[in-house]
Amino acid sequence: MRNSDTDTMKKVIVIGLDGFEPKIAEAMMARGELPNLQKVREQGGYSRLGTTYSAQTPVAWSTYSTGTNPGGHGIFDFLSRDPKTYLPVMALSRYEQKNAFVLPRVVNMRRGTPFWDLLSARDVPSTILRVPCAYPPDPVKGRMLSGVGVPDLRGGFGTPTFYSTRQNLHADQSEKVIAVRVENDRVATQVIGPRDPKTKSDHKFDIHIQIVRAENKIIITSQGQPDKLEVQLGKWSKWLKVKFKVGMMQSVAGIVRFNLRQIEPEFELYASPVNFETEEPLFPISHPKEYAHELAMKIGRYYTAGMAEDHDGLNLNRFDEATYLDQCRIVMRERRRMMEFELGRFERGYFYCLYDTPDRLAHMFWRFREADHPSNRHHGYNPQYANAIEEHYRECDAVVGEAMKAVDDETLFIVLSDHGMNSFQRGLNLNTWLYENGFLALKPGIQPGESGDFFENVDWDNTKAYALGLGCIFLNLKGREANGILNEEQAEQTREGIVKGLTGLVDAERGAAAVRSVSRREQVYSGPYLDEAPDLLVNFSEGYRVSWDTPLGGVPRGLFADNHKRWGGDHVIDPALVPGVLFMNRKFRAESPSLVDLAPTILNVFGVPKNAEMEGSDLLS
Amino acid sequence: MNILVLNFPGAERAVLFNDERLENLRRLMDMGCFGALAASGEWNVLARQEHHTLTLMEYFQQADKLCVDTSDPVTLREKLSVGDWDYLQYTAASFPAGNWSADDYLRLDRDLGEALQELSDDTVILILGRDCFVLVSANNPLSGEYFGGAAADIAPTLVQLAGFPLPSVTEGRSWVQGMELNDSSGLTADEQQILRDRLSGLGYV
Repeated sequence: MRNSDTDTMKKVIVIGLDGFEPKIAEAMMARGELPNLQKVREQGGYSRLGTTYSAQTPVAWSTYSTGTNPGGHGIFDFLSRDPKTYLPVMALSRYEQKNAFVLPRVVNMRRGTPFWDLLSARDVPSTILRVPCAYPPDPVKGRMLSGVGVPDLRGGFGTPTFYSTRQNLHADQSEKVIAVRVENDRVATQVIGPRDPKTKSDHKFDIHIQIVRAENKIIITSQGQPDKLEVQLGKWSKWLKVKFKVGMMQSVAGIVRFNLRQIEPEFELYASPVNFETEEPLFPISHPKEYAHELAMKIGRYYTAGMAEDHDGLNLNRFDEATYLDQCRIVMRERRRMMEFELGRFERGYFYCLYDTPDRLAHMFWRFREADHPSNRHHGYNPQYANAIEEHYRECDAVVGEAMKAVDDETLFIVLSDHGMNSFQRGLNLNTWLYENGFLALKPGIQPGESGDFFENVDWDNTKAYALGLGCIFLNLKGREANGILNEEQAEQTREGIVKGLTGLVDAERGAAAVRSVSRREQVYSGPYLDEAPDLLVNFSEGYRVSWDTPLGGVPRGLFADNHKRWGGDHVIDPALVPGVLFMNRKFRAESPSLVDLAPTILNVFGVPKNAEMEGSDLLS
Repeated sequence: MNILVLNFPGAERAVLFNDERLENLRRLMDMGCFGALAASGEWNVLARQEHHTLTLMEYFQQADKLCVDTSDPVTLREKLSVGDWDYLQYTAASFPAGNWSADDYLRLDRDLGEALQELSDDTVILILGRDCFVLVSANNPLSGEYFGGAAADIAPTLVQLAGFPLPSVTEGRSWVQGMELNDSSGLTADEQQILRDRLSGLGYV
């Protein structure tokens, strides 16, 4: 039933603020520092918003989109595993190739029915900017630009390149390092493009760098667009469009931007991951196909990769916090231009724009909130950044203020986050715990620490369970895993053993409980994709997470490890500890709203009934 | 191995090999070899015997292969989707005999793209234009532009790529005679490195 309040509405405007943490937001509101959000709250209401198991961007926004728990849409983590090889695989999309002669096709692994499909069927148009897990984009009535899930040109979530005259500089796992030589203030080098599956080598694009010492800048000359690109010391350059010849007959276009770190004594230059170019993207990133480029023509080139912020550059020490903040501002600005352009022509239907930056920024600046954060011992503590997240939240509030200009009496206005943010000081080596407790076996003579990523040296014939992804445990089930050993009765004993052993697990060094509870998948999921879910989920306490060595299947030495990375905040802990925020300009049911309630709420504004799979209810009724 | 021959007698080499919009064709050119053909001989003649001309089609028929020769695009589509053929030869009758428009070339590429969807990996593909060819198969050791080929060489080359023995005397000469054919199972990539590459940048790992 439609209620009288929504009878008059014909627009829904949703601003997503990824990872916007309620505790910080509430404290700021109490101090009057988020005036626009406060205004929405006063017009309607505010509440914390229940998130998903687990509290991750792709999982949570897929639940927002479909109105179902992850068992109904099939996204449980960024990573999943192939039970036939025990190898991690990207969970968000897959590439399918019918035969050797045709291009692969991208298949979205988020299943279920997003609510905009129901709106489209009833002729209600949508404008959806950067929603996660819509790659390839859904064929919506209206326009859609894909977000998290879109890879860079190398097919990953982002591989930057670092050029340096320093010798003995080694590449970390998520970057490329190129040793260069300066001769007569010139450097000849290349931008690294996609990998050639045949030759296993990288396609490259030549660039020539001229150093202009007097002006602290370089000029990059190439066959790209523009043919001459200026890069000022310490500043982000504009985009350079490059083309990689991937065969005698074919080429692939991409865009890249640079940051000049140093001219002397060493020359150092950072190049962002190469993003898809909008005019000729390798795979579709918008619906209609031409929309991404139409938008670029209006607002200028923009980041197309799902992970726009170069947190890796900061994590790997290739640039500093100030440079990362600069880049975050660039991303915010271009997203805001997108939003403003589209709101300017938005007349009716559903509008959505996601800002990813609050999440990506808080991951990297959380450590400055905690002087004793182990990361600070390695990277230094700079009190100047203690309030970096608050400062960014004020910028988010300004974005909300801008969006409110498009809100009229006929508009339901919603601001929400998919999850919150917390501290990540200590990591649990989950596979090592499984090993020490007899659930995971290593080959004879192998000790923890002698087994690398991808379950190297794991003895599958004697392994009952293994951990992968962000707190997921899978059982080595007979008939499901390649070398499965557990029958159903043994599986139950294993589940019981792990739940009992991990619940309340104490980090002896700190004397604190690291794990609050362990969920069996049947407790938290239901629906057609339950079978794809991890068997157990570990719900961590504040300050804890799985260690850096766990997600790709490592079995390192020792149970707990300090988090030494600049990535010092995280949210993949007990979902009860990291709810999101929900603001609406209409009064709504404040009693435990959760992400599943948004789809029915938005549908009902347009008088479109929710489908049978949707689990939530209209928050306005 | 299956053999698919798509013959477009009206298509000019200058356009086929240079128009960047012909994406499917260009992908195939990168996968295999291509080039001009000296007009000597006929592409579909494998051997001339005393009283008989042995065509490719006849050769495969004698080898008990399911052979189809058609110029009807509907039949082509049907055959491709059902897959009941070993040797399929199509001469495009729905295109002009000469003076193709830009649209004709785009249509060729679109039709080609549709046809490719239906193939299995172990297919030898031959595309013929006027005095030119593109030849693709997983085991083809030739890549890039092939110089000095003649139309009569097509048939013996195709027979060898398809894994059949050549008659003692052939009209033309096989370009892959005496060469080691590629392992058609394809190259196995360094899976873990690619995986690490793909997952890196996620931030979480």
